[in-house]
Amino acid sequence: MTASATVSASAATLDVDVLVVGGGIAGLQSALEAAEQGRKVLVVERQPSIGGRMINLSKVFPTLDCASCITTPRMASAAHHPNITIRTYSELGPIRREGPRFTSTLRQKARYVDEAACIGCKRCEEACPVFVPDEYEHALGARKAIRIPFTNAIPQTAVLDMDHCTLCGLCAKACPTDCIDFLQEDAEIPVTAGAVILATGHELTSMAAKPEYGRAALPNVISPMQAERLLAPHGAYGRVLRPSDGKIPDSIAYVQCAGSRDASLGVPYCSRVCCMYAVKQAMLLSGSLPVADITIYYMDIRAFGKGYEQFVASARAMGINFVKAKVARIREDADHNPIVRIERQEAGGTVEEVRHDLVVLSLGMLPGADPEREGFAGVLRDADGFVRTPEAKLSPTLTDEPGIFVAGTAAGPKDIVDSIQDAGGAAMEALRHLRSNGLEGRP
Amino acid sequence: MNGPGTAPDSGLGEETEDVRVGVYVCHCGGNISDVVDVKELAALSAEYPHVVVAKDYPFMCSDPGQALIVEDIKAHGVNRVVVASCAPALHEQTFRRALQRGGLNPYLYEHVNIREQVSWVHKADHAAATRKSLALVRAGIEKVVRQDPLEALRVSAERRVAVIGGGVAGMKAALAAAGAGLAVTLFEKGPALGGRLPELGRVFPTEDEGAALSRRMEEEVRSQPAIEVRLGAEVRRVDGFVGRFSVEAGDGPPVKAGALIVATGYDPYAPAPGEFGAGGPLTVTLPEFRAALEGLTEGPLLTWKGRPIRDLAFIHCVGSRQVEGIHAPQADGKVNDYCSRVCCTATLQTAERVLDRHPGTRVYDCYRDIRTYGRGHEAIYERAARKGTLFFRYREDAPPTLVEEGGRARLRVKDVLTWDTEVDLPVDLVVLATGMVPRDIGALADSQKLPRGADRFLQEAHPKLRPVELANNGIFLAGTAQAPMTVDEACAAAGAAASKAAQLLLPGEIQLDPFIVALKPERCDGCGACLDACSYTGSLTLSGEGPGRRVEVNPALCKGCGACVAVCPTRALDIAGWGLDQFEAMADAIAAV
Repeated sequence: MTASATVSASAATLDVDVLVVGGGIAGLQSALEAAEQGRKVLVVERQPSIGGRMINLSKVFPTLDCASCITTPRMASAAHHPNITIRTYSELGPIRREGPRFTSTLRQKARYVDEAACIGCKRCEEACPVFVPDEYEHALGARKAIRIPFTNAIPQTAVLDMDHCTLCGLCAKACPTDCIDFLQEDAEIPVTAGAVILATGHELTSMAAKPEYGRAALPNVISPMQAERLLAPHGAYGRVLRPSDGKIPDSIAYVQCAGSRDASLGVPYCSRVCCMYAVKQAMLLSGSLPVADITIYYMDIRAFGKGYEQFVASARAMGINFVKAKVARIREDADHNPIVRIERQEAGGTVEEVRHDLVVLSLGMLPGADPEREGFAGVLRDADGFVRTPEAKLSPTLTDEPGIFVAGTAAGPKDIVDSIQDAGGAAMEALRHLRSNGLEGRP
Repeated sequence: MNGPGTAPDSGLGEETEDVRVGVYVCHCGGNISDVVDVKELAALSAEYPHVVVAKDYPFMCSDPGQALIVEDIKAHGVNRVVVASCAPALHEQTFRRALQRGGLNPYLYEHVNIREQVSWVHKADHAAATRKSLALVRAGIEKVVRQDPLEALRVSAERRVAVIGGGVAGMKAALAAAGAGLAVTLFEKGPALGGRLPELGRVFPTEDEGAALSRRMEEEVRSQPAIEVRLGAEVRRVDGFVGRFSVEAGDGPPVKAGALIVATGYDPYAPAPGEFGAGGPLTVTLPEFRAALEGLTEGPLLTWKGRPIRDLAFIHCVGSRQVEGIHAPQADGKVNDYCSRVCCTATLQTAERVLDRHPGTRVYDCYRDIRTYGRGHEAIYERAARKGTLFFRYREDAPPTLVEEGGRARLRVKDVLTWDTEVDLPVDLVVLATGMVPRDIGALADSQKLPRGADRFLQEAHPKLRPVELANNGIFLAGTAQAPMTVDEACAAAGAAASKAAQLLLPGEIQLDPFIVALKPERCDGCGACLDACSYTGSLTLSGEGPGRRVEVNPALCKGCGACVAVCPTRALDIAGWGLDQFEAMADAIAAV
């Protein structure tokens, strides 16, 4: 009993009320809001599973709920909803306006697996001899060339990575339902919809963006998503170890604004979540490694949301070390210990070099998709690259194309709480659009 | 199958089917399994009577986790389910739906909380935590084997939502609800729509005029035939329950509504007399200053109440981010320990505006952290700095002090940026960046017992799972009644609240849990003790005469509180799904571990 019932390889036109582009938390939430009001919804997700970035997190601020506990039920609700169709591993083509409706084509990429027949038993994965760095673990672990994307993935359907497959055929021999099809091809499926919600999310800024921070070449300087996987109970190592030598780190530092508030990186804006995820990770680290020293180098702590200031206060009370300082440079010693050169804002403004075992760069957010390059009808991007919202104050989910709405981080950095609120707002604007344009009864 | 108002069987009578319990222990991704030995818990649960299968899984609430239950219902004939995981508020409904998918009555389910009640509170003693989990699981098994299938109660719902508060969040919620097909009554206690929006001046970062935005939105509201606006209508009382609220406000007749959206807004923080000179001629709050600024004549120097202002200082975090022991407590004895979210950007926008209009005025900004977090906010910070704002950073335990000297004032700041130098600034005017405080909405909050958080704002049921819902069924939150927000954030929240109201009311019928009083008529002797105990008039009535006298239940009015059960001398009354025999068996099971 998986979501495979909602995924078939038919090429008949998918004709829906609302097309949701992106199956992360904002996309799923807006899909559920619209579907619960009786609208037919199609969710198109590029990755082999829905769940977006959130399913990849360990725990979430400020409640410290495990991210899966919040995300997986929504994923399951969407997958089982009679009004929601989900297409994973699918790329959406340009969106064109045709009369009052929108049309597009989605290209369902070949999984090389018959989705209807796959039962998610993982025997193919066990049989496969090819190990590849695991994207889900942010390269801290390995996966097989054929695999179920991750434990909680939806659908629980195998996907074969043809770039790394050696065509040895062991998976096909192991498969009990004979569902592996090395000749499978991408399928193109036409789509029409009365309204569209863009929930194309974000990417993180690059680890190499700031050359002073080691150009992504220092093994013990990691990304915040790697830190999430170190902290996740079913993460790469199942505990917190540093990548270079598997040592348990005694001294961990966070470098704030490592990819944001920096015009030289082309990211002059604040990415809004980095303060809070750093504080959250610091608290979780302090729980896993009670004797470790944890330092956050910051300029401003931006704990602006409900309960956030109190969350930071409890981190301070736990002994997390908040240091007002600019980090000028990061290098490493012969044992790959990162050495952080800081200029303190307090205590006389001294310049110091501090050695840590592990350093996390608090990276910022970049747009996940460029609406103009994707050809999303008349949707424009703003100077920051995110989707432009011409009615930013009163209707923050409207785009430049009537009938196309935006939710979550597609319209700029946002935390999960704000993305979920946004998704509700976007769904309501979409439904209002359908109603006021006589698009309620589908042809 | 028992309908509401009739007694279920004990569940263990000779005539009942073979009871086959499945027990599922969730790791909650380490939240539970780091403390509780989940493997042992599952193994010991498997040995308990009636249990045919017991399993543990990393995330029971995930799709593969739920699929385990569905498969066992089909493969092992499981007909009662216990999941040991988080608080029922999170996922009881999730698993009931899984039972339904497996073809089982959703009420043949017991949710055992071994996270909030075990692993999160007994971190230090893993063995005892496992033992306590076992006791709770066994109690859950004992309860569920005595559980009968139940049917959800259905009540008809008014397809009208009452929006309380005619500010920007209330208007947006009304428009969104009407757009989804609901009728709306919008209650505003004041004489006009708009709330605080018209007072905000130019709103950041778009520089739209607040009054113009408000007018535009009001026109839209007025053009919607589905929206009835009631001005001068302060809510006096709200009766009823989800689907059938009755709202009394102003002079008009009570309005029947299926749901409420609370959009009652905030109050600006009012500084205590003398707080940074508040109340004196040298100090003004940010909202007051902004309201006046656009009306002042442009010129090299800002002129305030006839005085040229050569040096103007802003102080951030007045009434926000307060620290116990440093700041004076509020009326209720607590400090405002939250961030008000909007004041940093509003202050810097105002600073820039002053510098644009009055380039001869020097502007100082005393802050703790600059929180220009939102889209377009950081650019305002940069511009304010580039145009000449001088920044001083103070620590929460060393706030600036205002000293008056011969009509002019000096602001003393211990400045972190210059390594704790005591800076002495001459100032002609100090603007206090006052934050938001929760509003007193007495009658409304009291008559429905609306929950508040530690910050005294109205408290949502869960920030991510149910961000715009109160724990009160059918009451939703929009805007700053919940927490400080910008106009755009309030509008997004209002849309989300309207979406929840539409989902609830559009079907015209609401399903409620059937946990109401159930009567065993053969045991009732018509003594009437239950009527005296009942707080919900009309839920219980007596009919018949003499020995034939019996109590009758009105399922639409009963709340399932159980007061009648406690006083019934013949045990003729019980709460469906929460029977006395179930509680006794649970207590015995816990005592036996």
